[in-house]
Amino acid sequence: MSNKTMIQIENLYRTFHHAGNAMPVLKDINLSIGQGECVVLKGVSGSGKTTLLSLIAGLDKPSSGKVLIEGEPISKLPDLFASELRAKKIGMIFQHFNLFEHLSVNENVTIPLIPSGLKMKEIHEKVDDALKVANIMHKKEVLASRLSGGEKQRTAIARALVASPNIILCDEPTANLDRDNSLLFIEILGELHRMGKTIVIATHDPLFDSLSFESTVIPMVDGMIG
Amino acid sequence: MNEVLLSNQIIVFLLSESTLFILLLVAFVVSLKVLVKWDFESFMPFQFALERQAYLVSTIILFVFVMKFILVVYFIFSIDALSLLLPGAMCGAGVIKANVYGSYLLVLKLSILFLLTLWFYIHYYDMRTKNHQWFKHKSWLFSLIFVFIVLELGLDFSYFSNIDTHLPVSCCSALFGQLEGANPLPFGLSVSLLLVLFYLLYILVILSLKSGYTLLYILTNILFVYIAYYAVVYFFGTYVYQLPTHKCPFCMLQAEYAYVGYLLWASLFMGTYIGLSDAISTLWLGKTDPKSKNIVVWLLSLFVLLCTAYVAVYYLRNGVLL
Repeated sequence: MSNKTMIQIENLYRTFHHAGNAMPVLKDINLSIGQGECVVLKGVSGSGKTTLLSLIAGLDKPSSGKVLIEGEPISKLPDLFASELRAKKIGMIFQHFNLFEHLSVNENVTIPLIPSGLKMKEIHEKVDDALKVANIMHKKEVLASRLSGGEKQRTAIARALVASPNIILCDEPTANLDRDNSLLFIEILGELHRMGKTIVIATHDPLFDSLSFESTVIPMVDGMIG
Repeated sequence: MNEVLLSNQIIVFLLSESTLFILLLVAFVVSLKVLVKWDFESFMPFQFALERQAYLVSTIILFVFVMKFILVVYFIFSIDALSLLLPGAMCGAGVIKANVYGSYLLVLKLSILFLLTLWFYIHYYDMRTKNHQWFKHKSWLFSLIFVFIVLELGLDFSYFSNIDTHLPVSCCSALFGQLEGANPLPFGLSVSLLLVLFYLLYILVILSLKSGYTLLYILTNILFVYIAYYAVVYFFGTYVYQLPTHKCPFCMLQAEYAYVGYLLWASLFMGTYIGLSDAISTLWLGKTDPKSKNIVVWLLSLFVLLCTAYVAVYYLRNGVLL
């Protein structure tokens, strides 16, 4: 495992305000994740896992504290730069897959590469590589709306991988999958781990308690790392 | 109650202006607080809160920016419609001159649009730096704009509440017509010299813009707008109206002339606003945008072509010039 720190979190707080009430969701989070590490954020609903992933991805801004990706502070990045960072360095996998249902698997996976300025030939090569890793090549031309839950999640994996990001963030990735498809998903995660990707998974699924590959389980309780 | 203040168009206009003013007042108060306490290097909760508020202020100003452009067009449309109420008025020209506030109000509105365009440019560049490098520049500029906006709202109400619908106003032929022996053109120019200057300045504007002589461009563009105004009123306009004695910048905004005045004046002013904003950004921030330069060339060329086309078409149809 490399010593290079991919994700560094320092004194991170996130508080939401509603009707004059402050609701602290994350409290004093400090975390360091190295290159190639797989970290499982384990906690019940409302423990702050998804909020933490959003802050790591630059989708949200903290109330205070720092998030650094490969040494670069991202918690204050304007939207334009945050989007650029996500496009290049971060792949995301969501509980509800977030696919364009009216587009094919191939088209869904191609979308992240459209702003990249790559030539079509290179785009096709990258898409095919991602589809192979995610084991969904055989459904390449099928509409996303016609896929099963497991196939949709594998398409989402391919989409997360297609821009070759170093960091993969997964938010409750198996919540909508049956046991067999969850195990298949974990198998693919193992493949990504072997490829040297840094993986952060927010989940409450017990299947992630004892993964077949090296991983660190970090419990989250009431917005704090336990 | 003043009859003008009861007309639907003016009620809508003043309500819209007042609503925008309230929004801007909120933005101004927040922006002052943000400006005084801004410390981008800090990762403390207060600074993060300021950054969220700054984002809100920018969103409000962007919304107002779009609305103000629409409202200026609506203002011109409304004063043109008011000419039906005022004895003697044939178009917006008479209505604008119905009291002392009208002309100042129009100039102020056009100036605010320019300053908002400049703010938009600084905001555009600011959002493209990781550390909001131009945040203070755009905030100070907004403070200046807000002072103008306060003045504008005051003038809006003063102007519309002081229009006496029983008092005859001058029509455009009286306002812009030539008195015996008097030359209304600037610098004592003749119409033919005015036209030479018009085309010459247009070429100079394009050349200085393309070659990057920013100061020269600013000077020539301002002079071009000044000369273009007279050229339209005292020469090109007569071809729009097809009447050598009809000299007016407002009548061409009417349906009778296919609302061509909106296209004509919009292309001139939008081209100038974009060009000057880009030029000032170059001098102030060291930033320039090649796309803006192309847009300026297109807009000013459209303006010149449109003016010229009216003369050319008239000549081709009639075989003579007016």
